[in-house]
Amino acid sequence: MGARDRGLPAAGGGSVGSWLRSTRVQSGAIAVLSHLILVVATIIIVYPVLWMFFGSLKSGTELLTNVWGPPSRPMWENYPKAWEQGRLGVAFLNSVIVSINVVIMAVVISSLAGFAFARMQFRGSMGLFLVFVFTMQVGAPMVPLYVLVVRMKLTDSHLGLILPQVAGALPLSIFIFRAFFQSLPEELLDAARVDGCTDLGVFTRVVMPISGPAVATVAILQFLGSWNEFTLPLILVRQPDMRTLPLTLSSFTWEFGRTDWSLVFCALSVGALPMIILYVFMQRWFIQGLTEGAIKG
Amino acid sequence: MESAVSQRELARGSISKSRRYASLVPYAFVAPAVILYATFKLLPIVAGLYLAQLRWDGLNPAEYVGFANFSRIFQDDLVLLALKNNVMYAFGTVIGKITLSLALALLLHQGLRGRGFYRTALFMPVVMSFVVVGILWRWMYNSQFGLVNAAFRALGLERLIQNWLADPKVALGSLIAVDIWKWYGFHMVIFLAGLQSIPYEYYEAARIDGATRVRQFLSITLPLLAPVMLVNVTTSLMGGFNVFDIPFVMTEGGPANSTLVLALHIYLRGFKFYRFGYAAAMSYALLVLVVVITAVQLKLMSRNLGAQ
Repeated sequence: MGARDRGLPAAGGGSVGSWLRSTRVQSGAIAVLSHLILVVATIIIVYPVLWMFFGSLKSGTELLTNVWGPPSRPMWENYPKAWEQGRLGVAFLNSVIVSINVVIMAVVISSLAGFAFARMQFRGSMGLFLVFVFTMQVGAPMVPLYVLVVRMKLTDSHLGLILPQVAGALPLSIFIFRAFFQSLPEELLDAARVDGCTDLGVFTRVVMPISGPAVATVAILQFLGSWNEFTLPLILVRQPDMRTLPLTLSSFTWEFGRTDWSLVFCALSVGALPMIILYVFMQRWFIQGLTEGAIKG
Repeated sequence: MESAVSQRELARGSISKSRRYASLVPYAFVAPAVILYATFKLLPIVAGLYLAQLRWDGLNPAEYVGFANFSRIFQDDLVLLALKNNVMYAFGTVIGKITLSLALALLLHQGLRGRGFYRTALFMPVVMSFVVVGILWRWMYNSQFGLVNAAFRALGLERLIQNWLADPKVALGSLIAVDIWKWYGFHMVIFLAGLQSIPYEYYEAARIDGATRVRQFLSITLPLLAPVMLVNVTTSLMGGFNVFDIPFVMTEGGPANSTLVLALHIYLRGFKFYRFGYAAAMSYALLVLVVVITAVQLKLMSRNLGAQ
């Protein structure tokens, strides 16, 4: 059930150009009105984020007097203050460790399984695959998962945050890899087998090196999901030093929300800006990866 | 002679050995995925059914109570309230996201200049976490110093100024708006991909037959968008029923439980009041509810698809 089967084209193609011609016939008034609506929509999306950043550079009082605009004098010193008081450093590190491990494990484990489902025949293959498909949209319930992690003595550990997230990431990732591997030409794999490659050899030396697009899709999807994950750390983390960024941001806000919102805005910016910057530079990959994930899921 | 036979047998033996080996290789490939998935996803789902039959606070010895937890769900007034809120939340977000994203996708599909820019900008909140978005909007909604009321004041629309998160009458709607704000750009991109797949010739033929633009939209665009509509409605509907982060971060279910949704109710029962058994039972009820609703919706929508 790839993008194409559901009637989605890989790229715009000629129909856009024809549309262009059709609207030229229309008066320019429609174009102007369209731009007006789109500009308003864009402002409503972008300005709050910009405003959050502005807010992080204002003093606590300027936040209340200068509601709208940029700071009169940017107070960069807010950042080290928020960084220290909010213990953002350790949270940032935890988030990085957890997200990167989730991505690596999800890519390795789901590509192996995806390859087996796509290219190998074995008893029970369809049944196993269907188990993944049918339970894809169901999240593991909070209480039993919590009890399980407690029993395994993995609360307040990175591993306790990583493993459930990898498990949750598997169905969609396997699905994406399977679809990609199915599209590879059989001759390619046969040639490698004739050369004496084992299955693992075919997989690591022939298949994975050309699977960049699928790896990128899965990696972006799961990195974003893990970086923004909130519920899991909320129930599994008690020690402040094990908190990830979203959890720290939430508790920081309850602590400082009454006193100094400019520090809260600093913390929010630290949480959001790295991802936004990454998005701006790699937006094509992000948009493609995320929408592909939804269409396949 | 003898050596030839034994060689052949040897060869046969090694072949069958390698075959046996080969037949195990696929299982080795799927094993890590299956083990991890069985442990951290399937096991909690199955174990939840047992937990749901206990009265247990997570510390003291558990007491087996059978299906009492399940029958209690139907007597819990808060469940009913949370369900009502959740249904409103789900339908509010779905309707808002679908109409807004479809409308803007249609605008962008005209081939306006700056299309790529608008697309990138409107998609941006997708990469922000609900926690960041939720906290940001808490301040946006601040009745005195927030951007929302400031904007209405500047536009001379003082009538619209509200106490967005403190007034039980508008709080749920305020949260719905945030969810729409975060996600409609995402649905718009999916609609845009669907629009691009419709052959232009259909419109040309319709124009020659004298069809108006509205007619073209109803008879060509909308039916041919059905597959992407299915994707968009399904994802947003499930998101709406499973919502947790936004009400947790923005209102904690208040004021006066006006933004209490099912997942939040489950969390509070489980991890604030330590009613593990009851929370597990409610998790199950929510799971069944979501599965049933999605199944019904998929059935209805794919019947429409089949009819064309």
